[in-house]
Amino acid sequence: MENKELILSVKDLRQHFPIDGGGLLKKTVGYVRAVDGISFDVYKGETVGIVGESGCGKSTTVRSIAQLYKPTTGQILFHGVDLCTADRDTLLRQRRNIQMIFQDPYASLDPRMTVRNIILEPLRIYNRRGLLEKKYTEEELDERVKDLMEKVGINKAFINRYPHEFSGGQRQRIGIARALALNPEIILADEPVSALDVSIQAQILNLISDIQKEMGVTFIFIAHDLGVIQHISHRVIVMYLGKIMEISSSDELYSNPLHPYTQALLSAAPIPDPKLERGRKRIVLEGDVPSPDKERHCCYFYDRCAKRMDKCSKCVPPMFDCGKDHKVACFLYDDHPVAEEASDKPTEGELKLKAKQERKHRNK
Amino acid sequence: MALTKKKEITTNEFDQTIVGTSLTKEAWKRLKKNRMAVIGGVIVIIYSLVAIFADLLPLYPYDQAITSHRNLRPSLTKTAGELMLEQEMKNLFFQAWRQGRLVLTEEEDAQIEAWVAASKTNNVWDLVYERGTQALENGSFEWSASEQRRIDNILEDIETETLITINSVSAPVDGQMVNIEDMDYETLITLYASLIGSDYESVNQSMYNEVSATVTNELRANDSSLTGEDLTAAVEMEMDAMGEDAFQSRAIQNVIGYIEQLAERGASSDINTMITSGGAQLPYRGVFDLSNGLHVELEVSRMHDRRYICGTDYLGRDLLSRIIYGSQISIAIGLVGTITSIFIGILVGALAGYLGGKVDYYLMRFVDIMYGLPYMLLVIICMAIFGRNIINLFFALALVSWLTIARMVRGQIMSLKNQEYVEAARSMGVGTMSIIFRHMIPNSLSVIIVYSTIRIPAFIMQESFLSFLGLGVQAPYASWGSLIGDAVSSMALYPYKLIIPSIVMVIFLFSMNFLGDGLRDAFDPQSKNQL
Repeated sequence: MENKELILSVKDLRQHFPIDGGGLLKKTVGYVRAVDGISFDVYKGETVGIVGESGCGKSTTVRSIAQLYKPTTGQILFHGVDLCTADRDTLLRQRRNIQMIFQDPYASLDPRMTVRNIILEPLRIYNRRGLLEKKYTEEELDERVKDLMEKVGINKAFINRYPHEFSGGQRQRIGIARALALNPEIILADEPVSALDVSIQAQILNLISDIQKEMGVTFIFIAHDLGVIQHISHRVIVMYLGKIMEISSSDELYSNPLHPYTQALLSAAPIPDPKLERGRKRIVLEGDVPSPDKERHCCYFYDRCAKRMDKCSKCVPPMFDCGKDHKVACFLYDDHPVAEEASDKPTEGELKLKAKQERKHRNK
Repeated sequence: MALTKKKEITTNEFDQTIVGTSLTKEAWKRLKKNRMAVIGGVIVIIYSLVAIFADLLPLYPYDQAITSHRNLRPSLTKTAGELMLEQEMKNLFFQAWRQGRLVLTEEEDAQIEAWVAASKTNNVWDLVYERGTQALENGSFEWSASEQRRIDNILEDIETETLITINSVSAPVDGQMVNIEDMDYETLITLYASLIGSDYESVNQSMYNEVSATVTNELRANDSSLTGEDLTAAVEMEMDAMGEDAFQSRAIQNVIGYIEQLAERGASSDINTMITSGGAQLPYRGVFDLSNGLHVELEVSRMHDRRYICGTDYLGRDLLSRIIYGSQISIAIGLVGTITSIFIGILVGALAGYLGGKVDYYLMRFVDIMYGLPYMLLVIICMAIFGRNIINLFFALALVSWLTIARMVRGQIMSLKNQEYVEAARSMGVGTMSIIFRHMIPNSLSVIIVYSTIRIPAFIMQESFLSFLGLGVQAPYASWGSLIGDAVSSMALYPYKLIIPSIVMVIFLFSMNFLGDGLRDAFDPQSKNQL
């Protein structure tokens, strides 16, 4: 890993969404901590998978990286440039290298545009501002669109068709072509296969790996499906309630899960072999995922952990480095060196809200 | 970002061309299958064509009032003269019946008495006319001498009275014949001065007086409380504000009217001699060179040969022509009102929906406040303040009608804002305006189109309502509403005046509604409330 080039580095990213109290004045009464202080690095040419159950902040993380939301705090360093504080122009320049593939192929393509215009849209924007390698003419852009269509496996004769005339898999291919249009360095794939049926999933996954091999694009890949993640990722991030529980290389994680949550998660995946499946032991977690709107100063998994200790309720566990690029946020492994300190400082908005509530309390 | 619409033809491996079908194209296909909507659409198109090309149709001028043609009933077969005669005979027969000279059976007498008591005048007239003509034929009734004279007078009028339409008047200027409509103000005034034997200055002065008199009347019509000094001051202000060009264009119109009158008077003696000598076949189209140097092209037709398919109104104006010219105004109000309200509505709605937050909050509270105001009252106040003309009517209707569209567009945009393709566009760095105009508005356009087709009839209804109240279109212009409003007072005697414009209007409104329904079903095939 030492020779790998670092291209994206996320540092203590927090994404808190305000909760409106309703009423006429829409007062903020709290925050949903969708992503609550995560840090990870992404190296060139690898695929980073993010897994976790619904609502654990996977999508929010990649959307924050794509700057669809302004993060509450934290840094997203892309080649050393912080995207969160970058001005419009720099952001536009950097965005060229960060593209997204969306979950729902039926919703992610504008139904009133032809395939040509869908794939052309990013090219046009960057071409008009002269941010591409050179100024392309309309014909050259058209050629490029056709090349892209061929690359993702759509008949280029369909260039004038509309999205509703394609199947889900074909639409997802169009979405991939659009993401590839600008030759990005990194593609954020937000559950690109979960809306497709299984046979198509395989095709799209293979397409993605082919593209990666051919163009050397880095992927951040989100999926529910543990099998999909195992198949495609080099490294895996396990998230729970807006926090990273474990980061490891894919093989290591699947063969040797350390965190109790990861263990439970992996045990939930069915094994495609009836004999083994019958003998599979599931670790069933008690309770539900707690609401993410509270400030926590304990392990985020404390409520449901089968191996919880007193220590876990006192403070947030830091990331422990267990070697082999395996990091885990659990006090069970506190004999290992600390890789990253955990920070649980409240954000500015929360401090303000707290001060306000205290004032109110005192007045009463 | 200009979206190139170019569509090169692509073919598959079997050389079949591949054409994409857009959602709009599919909606159009579905619309074509909906028979009611197609019929509605065709009727709407016919109405619009008739309204647009009204000037090319062989119609009598909609503002030409012929006194002797007042209140003629609609007739396909009879000329105006025959109808006049018929009406006169009806009156005379009725008088004769009152005097006891026209003898009817006892039941008929009782019937007539009952009708008179119930003021069913038309029934009475029809009955006495029928019985009277029968009596004339079998010789049991004869006109008295004075009655005979009145009938003869009408017959003579029908024979002799003519209608002169001036097509153009030219006069020599520097040795060339110039049409007076192409002359500038000074030449025209000089010409008129020389025609009436006066000088430029005095004509100019009298023109100024005339224009200020019309301005005075206009002001008084708008605000009846103005009197004395206030009025004089207001007139002076208005005249100052008018400026030279506006004054001259008003004055030119007046002068042209005077010169045409002069020309008509000059030519009428020639025409009369021609007609009495039987030298001309009417209708006659001819050119006259008058002794004062004017060169007149005119048309002479027999006044009472006119045919009124839809009858005439209380001033003797052709109702058909008024309905058609009225449809111009009614449809224009529907269209202009809808277009302006769509523009404002889209702008406000899109901004509020996309930007959200404070902008959204304040814009929508403003809309709420506007909603709270009684909206017809607002329009009426607007009309009262700014004066009653068509432009103000457009303005007043558009002012209050964008609210619903703004809310609708806002809702649409808010739901589209979280669509993944909008997020995709944002993640690619597309600007806010670009996103609104290239992604969001095209995707909410179907809703807007449907809503606006349903809005057009509503606008026409509102305009009609205002005109009905006398706040809308002012004479000599007509709209469907003002025609109906005018007809209400004489509804019992001349029901056709009410019925014909109403039917015309109802057909248009129905067609528009069917078209709107069809569009809604076409754009939203999943909706359950299909016809």
